[in-house]
Amino acid sequence: MDFDYTIITNNYSIFISGLWITLWIVTFSFLSGSIFGLILCIASLRDSGIFFRAARVYVDFFRTTPEMVLIFWAYFCLPPILGLKMSSIVAGTLALSLVSAAFLAEIFRAGIRAVPKEQFEAGKALAIPTFRLWQKVILPQAVRRMMPAFINYLTELLKNSALLSAIGVHELAFEAYSLGARTFRYVEALTLIAVVYFMIIFPISIYARRIEAKLALKTGN
Amino acid sequence: MIDWDYISGLDFGIVWEYRLPLFRGFLLSLVLMVIATVLGFSIGTILAIGARSKIHPVRWLIVAYVEFWRNTPLIVQLVWIHFALPLVTGISTTALQSGLIGLSLNTAAYYSEIVRAGIDSIPSGQWEAADSLGLPKRVKWMRVILPQAIKIIVPPMTSMVIGVFKGTAILSILAVNDLMKVANTISNFTFKPVEIVTAAAIIYFITGSILSWASRRVEKHFQKSER
Repeated sequence: MDFDYTIITNNYSIFISGLWITLWIVTFSFLSGSIFGLILCIASLRDSGIFFRAARVYVDFFRTTPEMVLIFWAYFCLPPILGLKMSSIVAGTLALSLVSAAFLAEIFRAGIRAVPKEQFEAGKALAIPTFRLWQKVILPQAVRRMMPAFINYLTELLKNSALLSAIGVHELAFEAYSLGARTFRYVEALTLIAVVYFMIIFPISIYARRIEAKLALKTGN
Repeated sequence: MIDWDYISGLDFGIVWEYRLPLFRGFLLSLVLMVIATVLGFSIGTILAIGARSKIHPVRWLIVAYVEFWRNTPLIVQLVWIHFALPLVTGISTTALQSGLIGLSLNTAAYYSEIVRAGIDSIPSGQWEAADSLGLPKRVKWMRVILPQAIKIIVPPMTSMVIGVFKGTAILSILAVNDLMKVANTISNFTFKPVEIVTAAAIIYFITGSILSWASRRVEKHFQKSER
């Protein structure tokens, strides 16, 4: 079979615009997911009470239901329930943000829980005020511990953003399918985006692995 | 904000009316999950053993394979296999075949990492003992290394099953008649997306919860047997 490069060079602008939309979706979902995830994490820090329960139900639901299903749900069901019109990109990004919030909340929580209990006790014994204790003792250690998983979730989010092509968001994967369908040059278009995704995602996962290895050296486990 | 008139007009009887196709879709999702898990684990184990090969190109190829599958989106892999691969090989595959091939090969990459971590955790004394006893390669792997590695492999392996289950919903875009695809078809047909897709989401959530409960049980069991 012949590999026709011109199909890519002639249509590079749609790939650029698709990539741009992908990156925009991922950035927005990652930021809003982090903020909402942080709120969920704070709500579930104390192991009891109504906030804890609500946060747990939320996190469990969004972590165990397939992303594809949640994206379709946001696209088909949210607009009539809310009684408003919603474009596919808004519905899809909202779904990704809500899912990210659940996963990131769990990552934040695991980071805080990984800080040894003695650190809290030592802080209390030294009568360090709660705010200072968190600011100077707990959070620096927790952040260092959650960093590898946090960065790694960015790779998951990049991969999940391609799911939005299923509801017709014009991101990178969608542009490649539709170019393939128009010209029947699937091999060129799909191989190109596979390589593009790989070139974006692979360095991030290498970085996540590297800081994880460094962390393992430091904490000794 | 919420359109209560619309919600009170919802008719969940439609879900019961279409229970048979939905159930068939659900069964197909489960079957896909089981086949992809079994194939993925088998291929993944072979890859993990191959990753210890003394021949460099074999190792490089396996590393490249694993990294490529782990660092590109599953949906792109599936579409590539369904639409691009037949143009390369000249053999066309049905949506179900493409979906199964893609999901299994993707799962294999993840399982090979899990199995590799299990094998790496075996103390070097075990390898040396097996070698100094002159055990043949087959016996060394089947009787010494893998039975010990399995204890470390099983907990992450069971949680991976949930990932595979979540992945089956992505096969719907290839028109595999799994639960997600069936739900989308029915909701387009009846103009009742909220009832049908919500029901599908709940079925997915309940099944996923059962799987994660089971995986936690397995994990606990293996933690106990280690002591």
